Amino acid sequence: MLRLVSTATKPAATGRLVAGSRTFASSSRRQADITLTVDGKEVTVPQGSALIQACEAAGATIPRFCYHDRLAIAGNCRMCLVEVERSPKPVASCAMPAMPGSKVWTNTPLVHEAREGVMEFLLSNHPLDCPICDQGGECDLQDQSMRYGADRTRFHEIVGKRAVEDKDLGPLVKTSMNRCIQCTRCVRFANEVAGVEELGTTGRGNDMQIGMYVEKTMNSELSGNIVDLCPVGALTSKPYAFHARSWELKQTDSIDVMDAVGSNIRVDSRGTTVMRVQPRPNDDVNEEWISDKTRYAYDGLRSQRLTTPLIKDGDRFVPSSWEDALTAIATGLKNSGASGDEIQAVAGHLADTESLVALKDLVNRLGSDNLALDGVNGHAAPAHAVDVRSNYLFNTSIPGVEEADAILLVGTNPRHEAAVLNSRIRKSWLHTGLEVGFVGERVDTTYGYDYLGDSAKAVADFVAGKGAFAEKFKAAKKPMIIVGSSLVEHADGAAVYNALSKYVEQNKDKLLTPEWQGFSVLQRVASRSAAYDVGFVPSKKAAATKPKFVYLLNADEVDPKSIPQNAFVVYQGHHGDLGAQLADVCLPAAAYTEKSTTWVNTEGRAQLGRAAVPPPGASREDWKIIRALSEVVGSPLPYDDVLSLRDRLWEISPTLVRYESREPTSVEVALAGLKTLVAGTASAKVTGAPFKKSIDNFYQTDPISRASVTMAQCTRAFVKGENFGFSELSSASEAAYA
Amino acid sequence: MMSTETKSAVTPTTIEQPSDVVPTPTREVTTADAVSGAPTELRHRAVRIFQPTRSTTQSGTGKSTRWRIDWDILQGGGRWENPLMGWASSADYMQGTRMSFRSKEDAIHFAEKQGWDYYVQATEINRIPPKNYAENYVYKPNKLRILRTK
Repeated sequence: MLRLVSTATKPAATGRLVAGSRTFASSSRRQADITLTVDGKEVTVPQGSALIQACEAAGATIPRFCYHDRLAIAGNCRMCLVEVERSPKPVASCAMPAMPGSKVWTNTPLVHEAREGVMEFLLSNHPLDCPICDQGGECDLQDQSMRYGADRTRFHEIVGKRAVEDKDLGPLVKTSMNRCIQCTRCVRFANEVAGVEELGTTGRGNDMQIGMYVEKTMNSELSGNIVDLCPVGALTSKPYAFHARSWELKQTDSIDVMDAVGSNIRVDSRGTTVMRVQPRPNDDVNEEWISDKTRYAYDGLRSQRLTTPLIKDGDRFVPSSWEDALTAIATGLKNSGASGDEIQAVAGHLADTESLVALKDLVNRLGSDNLALDGVNGHAAPAHAVDVRSNYLFNTSIPGVEEADAILLVGTNPRHEAAVLNSRIRKSWLHTGLEVGFVGERVDTTYGYDYLGDSAKAVADFVAGKGAFAEKFKAAKKPMIIVGSSLVEHADGAAVYNALSKYVEQNKDKLLTPEWQGFSVLQRVASRSAAYDVGFVPSKKAAATKPKFVYLLNADEVDPKSIPQNAFVVYQGHHGDLGAQLADVCLPAAAYTEKSTTWVNTEGRAQLGRAAVPPPGASREDWKIIRALSEVVGSPLPYDDVLSLRDRLWEISPTLVRYESREPTSVEVALAGLKTLVAGTASAKVTGAPFKKSIDNFYQTDPISRASVTMAQCTRAFVKGENFGFSELSSASEAAYA
Repeated sequence: MMSTETKSAVTPTTIEQPSDVVPTPTREVTTADAVSGAPTELRHRAVRIFQPTRSTTQSGTGKSTRWRIDWDILQGGGRWENPLMGWASSADYMQGTRMSFRSKEDAIHFAEKQGWDYYVQATEINRIPPKNYAENYVYKPNKLRILRTK
C-alpha cells in the first residue's frame, strides 16, 4: 500500500546556485546545516547526518536494532524504515543521508506495515524464551514487538526454528545464539572499539552466525560492553545470569574507582547487595563504555569484607566494638611513643577524597607531615611535585585525546591503565591519521605504534629529534605526550620528567597553548589525583623519619618491609587484603558502592559517587571513622557532617567540590609548573633501566577485584590463558542451556 | 554545577509547539513542612535533583526526559537483611519515594516549598557526531587500519 503523493513539493531552493553566479568549483559549497521536515515538523541538522538522526532530533522515535550512535552504520536490520516523499519504497533511515528539503513520515500505515514485516521475519526464528531470558525487561526486541509484532505466527516449518550452537566467549559473556538477530552490533564494537578482529560473521542469510571463527575466548578488557549493545538476549552477562531481573533493581548513579578515569556508572542493587554495574553515558568521560573490571568486579564486594573492628591479640585478630578498637588505637599511639613525623599515614588506591582530607588534617594536627602514598616510591614526594596541578593531571582532557594527531606514550599502557581512554585513542587512530609512538615494555595496545625503545634513552633520543617518529611529532599540529603514572615509581622517572618538561617548554607554541595542552600524565589509581590535589605527600624531612605509628587508609599495595617491626599499625579499609594482615587494629570501612564521596579522576574532574547499599556489619563511612578517632586521640576535627567536610575541601581547593567540571590550568601557571619541575629534577641521573608494565594482570589490581571470583576466572582465562570452560559447553547437552 | 552543554550535537531548532513549553513556576515559596506534619529529620537530608540517564541496554530514551528527586540512602539504619524472611528491611521512610517532574525548575520549586536542601546534578553529556553510511566505503590512502569482519 503505497502512500500517494498528492502534491509534488519542490526541494527548498536555498541551496541552489543561480546560473549567473556559478563559480569554477563543480561541487556546491558544503553547508553547515540542512533543514528537512519530519512528520510535518521542520528540523535542522548538521549536513552529513543520517536520516535517523534527523528524525530523532525532531522527536520521532525510530525503532532500531542495528543502528547505534557510537558504532558505524550497518543498515542490516531494516527496522528503522521510514517513508520519504517521492521514494517508491520505505527507506532505511539509518543508511539514508538526511537531504535538505525532504519530507519524511515516521508513523504512517506504510511504515507500520513495513516494520511489522521486518519484525515478523525476526520473530520467525527467535525463540519464545523471554520468561527465562536475562534480557527480559530490558530487551529492544521485546519492547518493539509490543508495537510491531503480530499476535499469531505464520511460521509453520516442519524443521522448526533455526538452531545455532552457542559460542564460548569466556567467563564474562554468556551466549545464547538462537536468540541472535544478526544486528552485528557486537561485531562492529569488536572491530572498531575493542580492537578484537576475531569476532565476526560466517555464512549468509538465514545461516549467518556470529562467533570467533575458532574456539577462542574474546580477549578484550571492554568485552562486557557487547552485553549492553546486544538488543536481544543473545549476549548476556555470565556472572549475572539468572540472578536478578532488571525491574527488581534499584539504580544508583555513581562513579567507578577501578581506574583513574572515573567512569560514570550505575550501580544496580537489590536489597543489600550490588547485583550489577552498568555504564552511564557521559561523552566527557567514558562515552558509553566501561571496562570489564569496572563492570564485573562487584562480586568482590561480597567476599573478604571486614565487618567488625578487629584488635590483634598475639597472632590472631579478636572482634571488638568500635569503642574498644578506637581506644586501642589511642593507647597504641601513646605506647608507641610516636611524636611528630613518626606518625605516618599511608593512603591507598581506593581512598576517597573526604577521608584523605580528614586523615591529613588529623595527622597534621598530631604534628606530623609524614603523609605517604601507597606503592613504590610513595614514601617520598613525587618527582613532579604537587604544587602545580598540570604537572600530574591529564591536561589534554579525555575527549581532547581524539583531537591529537600525534601521541607519544611514555611508560604507560593505557589499555590496562585506562581501558576506556584507550578506546578513544583507537577510535582516533582508526578514523584520522593519528601517529602513536611508544616508549616502554612492548604491549598490545589495540592500535599500531612506532616503537621507540624501552628506557630513558629512547626518551632522550626523541627529545633530541632522532628517529622518524620525532619528526612526525614535530610536524604534528596537535601533538600530545602521555606520561604514565608508573614513571614516578621508576628510578629514571625524574630524569624522564626533566627531559620531557624541557621538551614541552621548548615547543610550547604547540604543546602548551590556551587551546591545546599536550602534556598529560595518566594516573592509574582512583585516589591519586585527589591525594596530590590535597597535598597528601610527605615533606623531605618527614620522608626520612622512621615511623613508629602507621595508619593505613585503604593501603593494600604497601610493601610490608617498609613498615618498621615495632611500629603500631592501624588499617582502615573494606577488605581483608594485604594491609589488614599487617595491622594491629583493623577498622572496617565502606566500599565505593556504600558511601557518597568525591572522586577526582585523572583529568582533575571531581565527581560525586553515591551510596547504593549500606556497608555490611559494623563498618562505617571512612571519614566518619577518622572523625571519631580524632575525638578519641584528643584532637577533634572541626567537621561534624559531610557538608562541613566538603566546605573544608573547598577551602583546600575549590576544584574538589566543583562537580562534573574540569578546570584547566592556565598556560602561564603550567609553564611555571614545568619550570619548577625542570629545576627539581635537574640533578637526576639516568640508570638506563627499562620501563616495566605497571599492571601485569589487568583483572586484579585492587582489593575488590582480588576478592572477586569473576576476576579470578578472567585471570585464568585471559591472563594465564587456560582453556576456560571450553569442555563444559561442548560436552553438555543443548537442553541444559535452553 | 550545571553543565552548559547542549544535549546533543544534532540540535533541533523546531518551531516551538505550545505543548513543549513548560511554564516557569512562580517562585512563591511557603515552606510546607510547617503544616504538613512531615518529620523534621527530613530537613537534615539533601535531595538530589537529576535527570535519569538513558539505559545503555536499550535504545529507547523514554524516561530520560523527566526530572526526578530522590534521597541518598541513610548510613547505618538504611537497609538490612531481615533475619526472619531474608528480605531487606529499612528504617528509611524515603527509600521508596521517587518523584518525577516535567522540568528542573519544577523540581527545584517543589524542593524549596518543602524546605529541603537540594543539589542539582548535571545532565547527560551526549555528543554524537553526524553519522553517514557512506563512511564505511570512504577511500583511505594509507595502510588500512581497520579490519571489518561483519
